Amino acid sequence: MLTAASPTVASLTVASLNRTALATRLAGPGLLVQTGPFVSRIRSSIGHVAEGIELLYGDYPLLAEDSFADFHVGLQPSGGLRRWYKPQVNFDLDGLVPFEPLPEAHAFPMLEWGLNWCISTRAHSWLMIHAAVVERDGCAAILPAPPGSGKSTLCAALVHRGWRLLSDELALLRPDDGLLVPVARPVSLKNRSIDVIRAYVPEAVLSRPVSNTTKGTVAHLKAPADSVARVRETARPAWIVFPKYEAGAATTMTPLTRTDTFFRVAGNAFNYSEMGARGFTTLAGTIERCAGYDFRYSDLDEAIAGFAALEPPP
Amino acid sequence: MDSATWCLRPGQTLQYREWDGECVLYNDLSGATHLLGGAALELLLALRRGAATLASLAHVLHAEFDIDAADLAGETDALLRHLQRLDLVDMRAC
Repeated sequence: MLTAASPTVASLTVASLNRTALATRLAGPGLLVQTGPFVSRIRSSIGHVAEGIELLYGDYPLLAEDSFADFHVGLQPSGGLRRWYKPQVNFDLDGLVPFEPLPEAHAFPMLEWGLNWCISTRAHSWLMIHAAVVERDGCAAILPAPPGSGKSTLCAALVHRGWRLLSDELALLRPDDGLLVPVARPVSLKNRSIDVIRAYVPEAVLSRPVSNTTKGTVAHLKAPADSVARVRETARPAWIVFPKYEAGAATTMTPLTRTDTFFRVAGNAFNYSEMGARGFTTLAGTIERCAGYDFRYSDLDEAIAGFAALEPPP
Repeated sequence: MDSATWCLRPGQTLQYREWDGECVLYNDLSGATHLLGGAALELLLALRRGAATLASLAHVLHAEFDIDAADLAGETDALLRHLQRLDLVDMRAC
């Protein structure tokens, strides 16, 4: 993975490309996007991809075309009759096609899912946990949770109420020092969460909702510009909070034992087993630095207040 | 098998954390992570000091835990066999 700053085009951002230039680069040599420690070269001739990138990736640095890339991904239309009848899109990584094609209208969500897959299957330098990560005043909260728990909704609300976004999907724990490495990208919202966040954060920038995906209707929320700008700032893990949205539930933050927290985090890790003893020592060290909680909520204002009341562990 | 001795399975380095009276231990051979009680950890730490007989290991547990003398040998043996199934310890016939 990237170990040094990649050359940028005179510190320009993706927003410096107009729509035509962006589409031309995507359809040609590819657009190099740096998200945290990863650089992805994205190639696509599909308008939905250009539209999503223009809307949500404008704040990211624009890298020179000859920069090194960790992932070379493509989203291209299926060939043959499919080009004309119910067109589909294929995701490829270095020419390999790991997934079944999806309807072309799903191209941008497929890009986001594909980039998550690239990281979660390859970035074994870090202990990777399926979790959102937010930070305030140097202390980070890791929010591991399965789909449907309200993790992304809560994450989206927190990052518009004073918390910095490190990630909506992937907590990257660095084994050498136990710090969290940001990989700030758009926040994936599903179904009712889309309208919830639209109402809660009226200024939020969201991609056009795409319906009938395998996850229902999905839309992506633009990462706050400050979180993108501070993507090289690591954070110290301080809390591990397992969120669970329950309609009508009172807001409760219930302390967990360290052993319970350990095994629940391990169960949400992508590569705990693959990392062997290094995974164990990294996770055990994190558990000893953090306070663990079960968090139930139904009201976002109360949830934000619950997080604001978290005391950094000694 | 009174003359048998127990020892750590070669390759086990006993990486563990002890929290709130429970032990989380990494198994170097299987790659699994185990949640063990205090008595199991006590046996493993005793075996890290060197191979030992069932009787001496039972004595270690008796010194640390409130175990009925009538049950001591049986419980120690059962615990060792459980750790053996996890590839943490071995029994050697002498």
